[in-house]
Amino acid sequence: MKNAQTVMTRDIDANPYHPWPARITSIMDLTDKEKLFEFRLIDEDVREAFEFQSGQFVELSIFGVGEAPISISSAPSKQGFIELCVRDSGDVTGALHAKQCGDVVGLRGPYGRGFPFEEMKGHDILLVAGGLGIAPLKSLINHIHDERHEFGKVTILYGSRNPAEVLFRYQFDMWKHRDDFDLILTVDQPDDSWDGETGLVTKLFDKIDVDPDNTYGAICGPPVMYKYVIEEMRKKNMDVDRIYVSFERRMKCGIGKCGHCGVGHQYTCVDGPVFNYWEAMNLQGAI
Amino acid sequence: MFFRVIDKERLPDLVTGLSTEYEVIAPVEKDGRFVYAPVVDPGDVRLDYDTTLLPPKKWFFPAEETLMRFRVADNEVLDDEVFAAPRVLFGLHPCDINALLLMDNVFTGRYADPYYMRRREQTLLIGVSCSPSDTCFCNVWDTNEVHWGFDVFLTDMGDRYFASCRTVKGAEILDRFVENRTVTDEDTREFQRVVHDFKDAFDRSVDTTQLPVLLDAKFDSPIWDEFGEKCLSCGACSMVCPTCYCFDVHDRLEPDQKSGVRVRTWDSCQFKEFAAVAHGQNFRDTRASRVKYRYYHKQWGYLSKFERVLCVGCGRCARACPAGINPVNVIEALQTGEVR
Repeated sequence: MKNAQTVMTRDIDANPYHPWPARITSIMDLTDKEKLFEFRLIDEDVREAFEFQSGQFVELSIFGVGEAPISISSAPSKQGFIELCVRDSGDVTGALHAKQCGDVVGLRGPYGRGFPFEEMKGHDILLVAGGLGIAPLKSLINHIHDERHEFGKVTILYGSRNPAEVLFRYQFDMWKHRDDFDLILTVDQPDDSWDGETGLVTKLFDKIDVDPDNTYGAICGPPVMYKYVIEEMRKKNMDVDRIYVSFERRMKCGIGKCGHCGVGHQYTCVDGPVFNYWEAMNLQGAI
Repeated sequence: MFFRVIDKERLPDLVTGLSTEYEVIAPVEKDGRFVYAPVVDPGDVRLDYDTTLLPPKKWFFPAEETLMRFRVADNEVLDDEVFAAPRVLFGLHPCDINALLLMDNVFTGRYADPYYMRRREQTLLIGVSCSPSDTCFCNVWDTNEVHWGFDVFLTDMGDRYFASCRTVKGAEILDRFVENRTVTDEDTREFQRVVHDFKDAFDRSVDTTQLPVLLDAKFDSPIWDEFGEKCLSCGACSMVCPTCYCFDVHDRLEPDQKSGVRVRTWDSCQFKEFAAVAHGQNFRDTRASRVKYRYYHKQWGYLSKFERVLCVGCGRCARACPAGINPVNVIEALQTGEVR
């Protein structure tokens, strides 16, 4: 057993539960339920020290209401602000939706393990998102965009329930015409305006070519989606340790202590939320 | 280590002396059971206790504590100062000291928890040898021996205590507050005899062979459904567990709604909403999945990080469980595939 004397001498000046004040600098309505918030950490030192990876999350803290883990949507290549795509689905997110531009909330983080961006360089990338799962992948997509020359073919498959629920449509509408991103959008329930694909995101795998020896996958979506998307990637012979998934769990403290986000033998907040499929397979009950 | 011998009759002097400078917490009797409580009269201290209702964790990680005071306007922290008074925890059994070392792994290190650490730094631990009770199985995890984490450890040798001082502070308080003498060869021989007898007294045998592998390999075992049927999801096992550290955090507003406190409270993975997320998904919706998770985390999750199981075999959960679930039976059921 470890010597208790040695662990007692660590610096305890920093309180990891202390949220840093952050000002809302922009609010954009994305859908009926989701808004994109841009924050700026008020303290300059904190702001400059805030470095993150795509796939990491922050704890959004609204005093009097509580805290909620939200993945970062902006790209690490853009410093100085933090974007969070937030669905109004609980107390904290509801309170955030009621805020105005200029209001101050609290943020702490970034937490967890993100996507292995450096390792992914030099390869083709296949990103698959379902619903709100696009929020963390948006960070990765934009990071890849900012260093586009470092990557091979980039394919994005994004499924939503209906056209009204498609997130970041302003960006994707623009990107439809780019030839350096293969972007395919699909919805389960199309309307007359919809000119994209119809059906589940897994159906899109018939439309793409994957070089199994040279492709990294990244998946984020509702819990039910993972199994089926992974199946499709495996059918394309992608390696289990090159398929990355990002999990949503109840990351209440964000720092590996409160226990709520336990998945298999790991904690989503510090060991994840991004795992490769080999790791995820070894997390009982994860997928 | 530094050793001393204390005459048993002189021990209350130590408690009295410590009380002049510290708040002394020790096992005392309450309604026929034992609890750790602040000592009012040194004569109340009961070092012959079997086990306490609640473990000593609450003196480091209280059932409810304020993390910070805040002002709603501008989302401002008014105060997150951590205050801890000098305190002595007197009379801890080896299992409970080992449990604190397991808690240290979680609350110190990366993202160190200042609330826990400040109390830990401000608290002296004085351990005392024990004898097996009908529910303890510490010998299974080797937690009936303790080598670290205490300031003084007292081994009962009938008319005297063999005192092992692990820290400078421990040696200092002995010399200041209680008459003692140096150890003779005879004392050391007697110490050896006593600790051997002590080890021999624990005869609980539990087959823990390859538990982490079995937890994975038998993840879908029907034994979990059987335990799930029994479990009431009351969380008593977590509350009385000396190593359960899960917590919840919530904000409490003052009546004027302008300021408030962020508090944390003990939580349990056995509670239904423990793993539920905002969109309505609950990752451990069934009682069976929650009972299983408790064992999965203790015997495998924690072990995968810290190379120890998150159990010290104190047997409190077996005593507290209204449904009669005993960890020894759970581990046996996992091995044999049958719930007895």
